[in-house]
Amino acid sequence: MRNDPSVIMLVERARDGDQRAWDQIVARYAPLVWSICGRYQLNRADIDDVGQTVWLLLVEQLGNLRVSAALPGWLATTTQRECLRVLRAARKYDLTGSPGDGQMSPDQAPAMIEQEILAAELNAALRAAFADLPQRCRQLLSMLLSEPPLSYAKISAALSMPVGSIGPQRARCLGRLRRSPHLTAFSDCGVMGGRAENTRTSHAGGGHRA
Amino acid sequence: MPEVGTVPESWDDDQLLAALKEALQAQGEVPPEFVEAGKSAYMWHNIDAELASLTYDSTRDQDRVPSMRSETASIRALTFTSEHLIIELEVSGESLLGQVIPAHEGTVEIQAGDGVVGTATVDKLGWFPIRPIPASPFRLRYHAADGTDVLTGWITL
Repeated sequence: MRNDPSVIMLVERARDGDQRAWDQIVARYAPLVWSICGRYQLNRADIDDVGQTVWLLLVEQLGNLRVSAALPGWLATTTQRECLRVLRAARKYDLTGSPGDGQMSPDQAPAMIEQEILAAELNAALRAAFADLPQRCRQLLSMLLSEPPLSYAKISAALSMPVGSIGPQRARCLGRLRRSPHLTAFSDCGVMGGRAENTRTSHAGGGHRA
Repeated sequence: MPEVGTVPESWDDDQLLAALKEALQAQGEVPPEFVEAGKSAYMWHNIDAELASLTYDSTRDQDRVPSMRSETASIRALTFTSEHLIIELEVSGESLLGQVIPAHEGTVEIQAGDGVVGTATVDKLGWFPIRPIPASPFRLRYHAADGTDVLTGWITL
């Protein structure tokens, strides 16, 4: 996958002192850091420490070109390393816990991290594309995604939109989302194809794949 | 605008909507204060000091014995090395004891993710106590009268 040029630009702006660019970087990748910590089953205080350490290290590394060129990968490996360090330190003090309980073997980690990076990039791109949609589209799609699901009648009333227009509007809004330049980076690799299969499986609810 | 390729186009509306749902949920799971803490880390951007990097950590390098460490058993021992000096830290019990080598009087500023949380005085022998032990990631900035200005890497105890 290509690096998203907007991310490289954000890193450059943050390096030059732009706090807002930094904030966008954090907002974009906090879910990635959070989800990796979740995989290691750390407690909340440890997750906060790891998260903070990762961002503090990134602040130190902003001038490092190799980091900005591969930011998601750097964040993922740094988060993983910090999580492991916390676990190692905890284990040293708590001799009752056997090392490695419930943890992944080191062999599994690289493949897992690759998946997490791709998923995080795709999610970030989808959120950016969503944020660029007209407000009307964002409202409609949000309502269509709400849990528990809302009936078309309720959506129609809330948005003052005839029930008959919801279907066509949904298609139009999703069409705009699909064509968003934020998703361009994914068009030349298989990630979306792979993800699409997964979503289809989960969407069907059966979970049976050939 | 660059040409949109074929792969996203292969998603049908239901798949795209499901992917969007997942993306928004992944963001929704992150507590806002977790994000805010990350944003505030930027306050430490562009600090101009000599950097001391971690060269020994007892949790990492258990098999190696640092040259200048005392014989006392400590829970955690760390060594930071810069071009001009060494800063050693030892956790024992409720306190954190540090030593600057070569010894020189000065002050140590304790920096946490969201600001300066304390200072300590470095005595003639280079020793400085830090109480209480910072609960969250922190680092130390050592100043001496001769203009020495050294910053350690981030520490979590």
